[in-house]
Amino acid sequence: MTHRSPLFTLAGLVIAFAVFFGINLANSAPRQAVDDGYPSASPTANTPTDQPSPVPSQTATEEASPSGSPTETATQGAEDAQFPDKVVYAGRTKDGSAAIAVAVLGDRAAAYLCDGRNVESWLRGTAENAELKLQAKSGDTLEARLEGSKISGEIEINNEKLDFTIGEAKPPAGLYRAKGSKTTIGWIVLPDGTQVGIQTDDQGASQAAPELDPNRPEVDADGEEVTAKPVEGNEEI
Amino acid sequence: MSAVPAGADDSPVSTPDVPAQTRLGPVLVALAIGSAVSIGIGVYGRLHNPTGQAINLAGFSSGLAVKAWLTTLAFLFALVQIFTAMILYGRIKISGEWVAPVHRWSGRIAVALVVPVAVHCLYALGFQGYSTRVLVHSSLGCFFFGAFVCKMLILTRNDSPSWALPTLGGAVFSGLTALWMTAALWFFSTNGLTF
Repeated sequence: MTHRSPLFTLAGLVIAFAVFFGINLANSAPRQAVDDGYPSASPTANTPTDQPSPVPSQTATEEASPSGSPTETATQGAEDAQFPDKVVYAGRTKDGSAAIAVAVLGDRAAAYLCDGRNVESWLRGTAENAELKLQAKSGDTLEARLEGSKISGEIEINNEKLDFTIGEAKPPAGLYRAKGSKTTIGWIVLPDGTQVGIQTDDQGASQAAPELDPNRPEVDADGEEVTAKPVEGNEEI
Repeated sequence: MSAVPAGADDSPVSTPDVPAQTRLGPVLVALAIGSAVSIGIGVYGRLHNPTGQAINLAGFSSGLAVKAWLTTLAFLFALVQIFTAMILYGRIKISGEWVAPVHRWSGRIAVALVVPVAVHCLYALGFQGYSTRVLVHSSLGCFFFGAFVCKMLILTRNDSPSWALPTLGGAVFSGLTALWMTAALWFFSTNGLTF
């Protein structure tokens, strides 16, 4: 071996990879939650380069939020037999192809399935006796049962059945909708911060939704400013 | 060709006048190891469940912006590398002791800058193919690190064929450029030149 410094460079590369992987691993807890109702803004960083945290939530680091939602989860998850009065579930279908969110308010429910590109469906229906039965105007249906703090069931969309088991989503995760005169946008914000959304115009053309900024619920939809609101469950959609 | 570049400090820069005896074997071994690295990264990117988490850094609008600016900075250092490489190979008539160390260090800095970006890409997004841009970016991401490993390995020896280093240097630079175009440039063109 004539020159060793390239090996030092390689060693440095491997160490750097390991360090940043470690940071990513250490900062990825299964669920990040914030106490406030709507995504809050506190874009501070503790590390010089890489502080992974979910979008749009800002405070979800291990040091910053040990308190807050875990207590809420405990009280809400204690009820097995009935849905909580107000709850939102969000996650992915079992095959991972789409995101799905269900908002429950009392005995009413609203749901949204979205693959972030061109497949979406808004459904509404009832939440009774730990069972969800929803339908879309297009004929798609969703049926699910409450199992602890998760809901498990299937959605039939375009004659295709997709299974899902999804857990509760605390703000800022959840289901959001913005409706303008020409466009409707739906977003599912998953507990890990990923956003999946579709924007559809009145001709039925769909595209991926613009990113929902935690600081401003106002979004530009083809020139028209619309406001994203959390879906509660009793909307007629 | 020009004189040996001022690499008296154990500079691992191959010179135009290589020893008469060049060996292909070590080059093939280096290529094999680089390929294994590329494939390994690709397999990890495909098997690992992407978490979708974002980087959050004060002053930037989003994690994507952080990555776009980091890689743009890396690209600038890569340009310095190309410039100094051309001097080392006599294409640009400048001389000085600084050329080889600047070449090495601009390269190290460029790679150091892209590591957090690459790790985040791999961890949060994974190897994706849902659009051409994303497929090209994912593939090149694997390719880039394999080529870089290969280049480093070849640099440890003096007996590589004269085409080996320029080819690998070019591959690394082209890879980085295309990676930058399929991600940072795309980000700036859709979001504007924003922080």
